[in-house]
Amino acid sequence: MKFLKYIIILLFVFKFNVSMASDNDLQLKITKNLRCLICQGQSVYDSDSEFANSLKLLIEMKLNEGLTEKQIYEFLKNKYGEWILYDPEFNKNTYFLWLLPILMFLIGGAIMFKIFIIKKN
Amino acid sequence: MASLIGFYSLIFGLCLSLIIVFFSIKNFRNSSIFDKKIISLTFFQFFFVSLSFFGLIFSFINSDFSNETVFNHSHTTKPLFYKISGTWGNHEGSLLLWLLVLTLFIFLFLLKTKKQTKQYRNLTLLIQQIIIIGFFIFLIKTSSPFNYIFPVPMEGLGLNPILQDPALAIHPPILYLGYVGSSIIFSSTLAATSLNYISKEWAKHIKKWVLVSWIFLTLGILLGSIWAYYELGWGGFWFWDPVENVSLMPWLALTTLFHCILILEKRLILTSWVIILSISTFTLSMCGTFLVRSGILNSVHTFANDPERGLFILIFLFGLIFLSIFIFLFFHKSDEKNYNFFWLSKETSILINNWFMMYFLTVILIGTLYPIFLEVISSEKISVGPPFYNKLIIPFLIPFLFVMAIGPKLKWINSDLENKFFLVLFLIISILISYFIIKNFNGDFLINTILLSSAFYLFFSTSKDFLVRGFKNLSQNLAHFGFSLLILSILLNNIFSTEIITNLKIGETFQSEKIKINFESIKSKNIKNYDVIIGKFNIKNLNNNIEVLKPELRIYNQPNIVTSEADIKTNLFTDKFMTMNLVQNQDYFNIRYQNKPFMIWIWLSVLLISFGGIISLFNKRNEN
Repeated sequence: MKFLKYIIILLFVFKFNVSMASDNDLQLKITKNLRCLICQGQSVYDSDSEFANSLKLLIEMKLNEGLTEKQIYEFLKNKYGEWILYDPEFNKNTYFLWLLPILMFLIGGAIMFKIFIIKKN
Repeated sequence: MASLIGFYSLIFGLCLSLIIVFFSIKNFRNSSIFDKKIISLTFFQFFFVSLSFFGLIFSFINSDFSNETVFNHSHTTKPLFYKISGTWGNHEGSLLLWLLVLTLFIFLFLLKTKKQTKQYRNLTLLIQQIIIIGFFIFLIKTSSPFNYIFPVPMEGLGLNPILQDPALAIHPPILYLGYVGSSIIFSSTLAATSLNYISKEWAKHIKKWVLVSWIFLTLGILLGSIWAYYELGWGGFWFWDPVENVSLMPWLALTTLFHCILILEKRLILTSWVIILSISTFTLSMCGTFLVRSGILNSVHTFANDPERGLFILIFLFGLIFLSIFIFLFFHKSDEKNYNFFWLSKETSILINNWFMMYFLTVILIGTLYPIFLEVISSEKISVGPPFYNKLIIPFLIPFLFVMAIGPKLKWINSDLENKFFLVLFLIISILISYFIIKNFNGDFLINTILLSSAFYLFFSTSKDFLVRGFKNLSQNLAHFGFSLLILSILLNNIFSTEIITNLKIGETFQSEKIKINFESIKSKNIKNYDVIIGKFNIKNLNNNIEVLKPELRIYNQPNIVTSEADIKTNLFTDKFMTMNLVQNQDYFNIRYQNKPFMIWIWLSVLLISFGGIISLFNKRNEN
């Protein structure tokens, strides 16, 4: 238990700069989830292009207007299309995208179960 | 001149392929011992491809702009080091490197397998030659690095400045050694399957080749990641960019394969699964080349958009897949006889490892390919980015980490949990620590607590193995310990990273409760192929410690591109990371300051993981 104590003390000693969830953080989070449409594989957050900068301002404005994160995504989706969202929505286009990996996981499990558990008995 | 030699060496190399195939078939049929001549021939083939490669390097060093590849990717003012690395910083050159590694590996393979049978060696060589011939034709026909331009231009177009970097200069060769190294696993597995040669001894021999590829692939990915961290300028190290995914997929397949071969080596079961994994590893490497080279992917790495090239690789890829399916279905005899192990055993834990690894692979594969298919079918464009991968991978990571903590302690066939006391104790400690950390520093997220608990659990459990069992099974302990450290550092880094983004003029100061950033001055300098603006920032934290950071802006002249170079101060606990950027038409600079804890541990832990692999490779003794 001494070990635990040391760890806790250690963690106190290296006080991490920790942010509180604020508007600023939310803005960063949103920009990380948006694709910079004129760049090659960068998010709006990563990019310093004009498009990205204007979008950052737009998001700040929308947040000040009191829109929620979801509403902002919705707004941008209507304006630029789904291509801009890094987090694909769950709809008829993406059923396979979201469910196929999990389905494969279950099938894999079932095959293992069949071969190693059932055959043995 | 060098280009000419390079080009004809390629033609010679291709002819040698045909000669090798001829002698190899003859040897396969008639003789009873392996023909030494074939080894010499493969050496000559390797020699000619090297000659061609050095021809290209030479053209780059000499800035011979009559060569189209050199003209497109080099410039006289570039430093020598980047002239050389420019050789593989483009489509044509990097494919020549592919070919070089292909021929190198088959030559080494023939040298190192004197104890194996003649038939097996010949057949491996034949299959490898099919791949080599494919790449020769691809290179010569669609992407020759030795095209001639006339009149000879005076100056080249230059190399993209973000590629002018030491880590990235050696990243492609290392990565390719891993990527293309998997070809030898592919060829020899198919050969072994056709000859019904798979045995415990075979598993032991192929394990070394799996390890070689795996070590290089690990190091290659690490280099790419480090480069992305300090060069792309936003302080991340993994972006789930399609091209990164494409390198991670063979890595996952190789890791799975390696664990699976351990079972094969001990118990001679799961041969079908080993064959499938060997085939998929190389297929994934090829698939990656196809995706990157065809320009289908929208990515920072894409440097060639040519449908003809994509089509060629695609056809070639399908050819190889059909060949392997054919061999697998017609020659492979299933071995479903002795699955006599109990549910609590090393076999089960490795199987569960395989199961989860395959799931992670599937997520990445589908996430990378699905948008392409959707666009073809319905012409709707969607993006699949980090949130998708986080959502699907993180929940599954938790049980994976727990199994990984317990699995290595188990014995083959039937096992008991020993030291239950420690298992429970570690669990309680991990949960307590994680709860404490999350509660005190970050408020929300139940999942963070659980995830962190599982990471800590693995960490304690592997640390104990490491301390108690130490040199007995050092390679495994080291690699697993490294992995636990990796997960832990990534998590803590994610949770505790902070950043400040602001616009400052020279002389201005940004102030918050915790930190004061003073923009003291800028200085400009003139260097051979770029001008540089260096900012000087004083950063004062709560304890009044002052740190000076000097991020740069570089204005390259050829091609004319502005890049920002981060300044990073690293210590054991945290990285301080700063970049600056121009704000258009104003005298403000956009400043990004980040505090990223445990960054260095991410790199160190990956080094530990690969070091574990290296030890295993050189360990002659049979490990338990």
